[in-house]
Amino acid sequence: MPILETRGLTKRFGGLVAVNGVDLSVEQGEIFAMIGPNGAGKTTVFNLVAGLYKPTSGQILFNGKSVYPVREFWRNYLPPLAGYYTVADAVRRRLGLGPMPLGLRPHAVTALGIARTFQNIRLFSYMTALENVMVGEHPRMHAKVWDSLLRTPFARREERKVRDRARELLRFVGLERHQDQYARNLPYGFQRRLEIARALGTQPKLLMLDEPAAGFNPQEKNELMQLIQDIRGQGITVFLIEHDMKVVMEVSERIVVLDYGEKIAEGPPQKVRTDPRVIEAYLGKSA
Amino acid sequence: MKRKLPGFGAVGRAQNIPYVLLGIALLLFPILDSNRSQVDVAAFAGVWVLLALGLNIVVGYAGLLDLGYAAFFAIGSYAFAILASGQFNIHISFWLLLFASAFIAAIFGVLLGAPTLRLRGDYLAIVTLGFGEIVPRVFRNASVFTGGVNGIVGVDQPKLPAVFGWSGNFGFNPIPYYYLILGVIVLSLFLINNLRNSRLGRAWMAIREDEVAAAATGINTVTTKLLAFALGASFSGFAGTYYASKLFIVSPESFSFQAVSVVVLVMVVLGGMGSMRGVIVGALLIYFIQSYVLIQLPGWIVSATSALNIDFLTKLDIGSYVQRSNFLIFGIILAGIMLLRPQGLLPSAQRKVELEGGTSDEAVADLRGSA
Repeated sequence: MPILETRGLTKRFGGLVAVNGVDLSVEQGEIFAMIGPNGAGKTTVFNLVAGLYKPTSGQILFNGKSVYPVREFWRNYLPPLAGYYTVADAVRRRLGLGPMPLGLRPHAVTALGIARTFQNIRLFSYMTALENVMVGEHPRMHAKVWDSLLRTPFARREERKVRDRARELLRFVGLERHQDQYARNLPYGFQRRLEIARALGTQPKLLMLDEPAAGFNPQEKNELMQLIQDIRGQGITVFLIEHDMKVVMEVSERIVVLDYGEKIAEGPPQKVRTDPRVIEAYLGKSA
Repeated sequence: MKRKLPGFGAVGRAQNIPYVLLGIALLLFPILDSNRSQVDVAAFAGVWVLLALGLNIVVGYAGLLDLGYAAFFAIGSYAFAILASGQFNIHISFWLLLFASAFIAAIFGVLLGAPTLRLRGDYLAIVTLGFGEIVPRVFRNASVFTGGVNGIVGVDQPKLPAVFGWSGNFGFNPIPYYYLILGVIVLSLFLINNLRNSRLGRAWMAIREDEVAAAATGINTVTTKLLAFALGASFSGFAGTYYASKLFIVSPESFSFQAVSVVVLVMVVLGGMGSMRGVIVGALLIYFIQSYVLIQLPGWIVSATSALNIDFLTKLDIGSYVQRSNFLIFGIILAGIMLLRPQGLLPSAQRKVELEGGTSDEAVADLRGSA
């Protein structure tokens, strides 16, 4: 069973169709890449899966369960009552119905095990590297308001555990010596790694990386590819958007190609590389 | 670079000595100072410290620009005044209401916060400004409950069991009030310090830094922001209860925009957003300027001009002119301080970096570390 599947996923922004009927299926434990020219709709797909955008139509399935809209009516007619999602969430949990169906709000998607990084790095600039990763662990923490307010023994124990885990993650991405640096003071390459560490902090099953190699030199690209392999080695499925063909071809096991919001090719790297439609999309039609 | 707040459990470390000394000084102050009116001033200053600490949660930690903080202060005050006065002849214990009205203020924090959740920055400021104006007006017009323009006079005062020949009645004696507010502030500092270094505190700061990224890392931005409003408001509930009983009266005029919301915001920004020490210093400084410097200034100027003994200057009567341009002078002082120290008097570590820029040493250390 694929870990992530989209069926006929479509997103319109006014007259522009950013994503048009895309069917994807990312298998458990693979490294899956999405490529395509600028403006092909790759990041939009990420944003749809992550719950930042709501699909115009189509379905998103995570672990075979529908991610997307169950309570369409509420969403459309009660937007000003922002608190209600939370209330509904709490009520469902009390009733033993489990968390709300996926896809509604980004934090709930993350809680289910989908983490992401951003194309333009979005770290918490004025927090230290360690704090950034600790924020990442937020959805896996259980301290309630009272625990935070009174620093109960439970909160203290949890803090210690989370701090240790965050240090471990920083070591994993090779930033252990920079844990007390403010994120904004880190060099660019380290910031990208820190963002990955923060995403790993949420203990994802699926990690979505949006152009992780952008702006990297060849050495950094090699390190990144190693890191991606290591992440997969931990049993985490990796879904990445990447422009750098060397990285894509070397690291990924399957590739999907988008152009103008539509899927034009899919398959292993060797096959995609020679696909005439892909070549056309990238190089233009030969005369 | 290590950052650590002075922990309350860490008395005895050398770096904490100034704090311990300060604590002793604060405890002994009313005993050593025979001038009761100064103790009284200090007891009022504590209200502002509490308000500034509370607003610091909303503005400094969560980064939500709230211009209507006076509303929660008013709600806390009125909640106490209605439930502990001759107004309805209800007299519930002060100690119970101290926490009850904090809770009531927190609930209103959620109610007023909920509609603003989708707003940011300037837009949020305008909506909260509106709430800050509405709430005192409601209190003024709902005269059945609140006594309207006249407010509620004869608010109950705290009582303790009699000890050491002291009756336990607070009455109009400023000394017990002083110790009370000191205790409340210490409690608040303890709670806020806990919050700052907790799951919730980190979530607030994450939202302040980047809301989209915070949501993507699994923070429920709705509840987290509402909690900022609620907890921020609860401290002004403490302050409101204390203020009402200390002043013996609540009236809608005490909670206007320019008297409270702006002043508290100025205290937070000028002291150093997000820094507890800074905010306390800011609150005390602004209170000192407002309640002492600005009031004494005309007198000083009159005596200075008469000392100079220049006929022309005495005739000009600068003293009364200064008195009338109170707000102008206040504004000039504020503008001056902000120009000299844009990061605040005692900025938080973050703000320091933000405004002074990353130091070049750090950048060099980085490169060396990566090589």
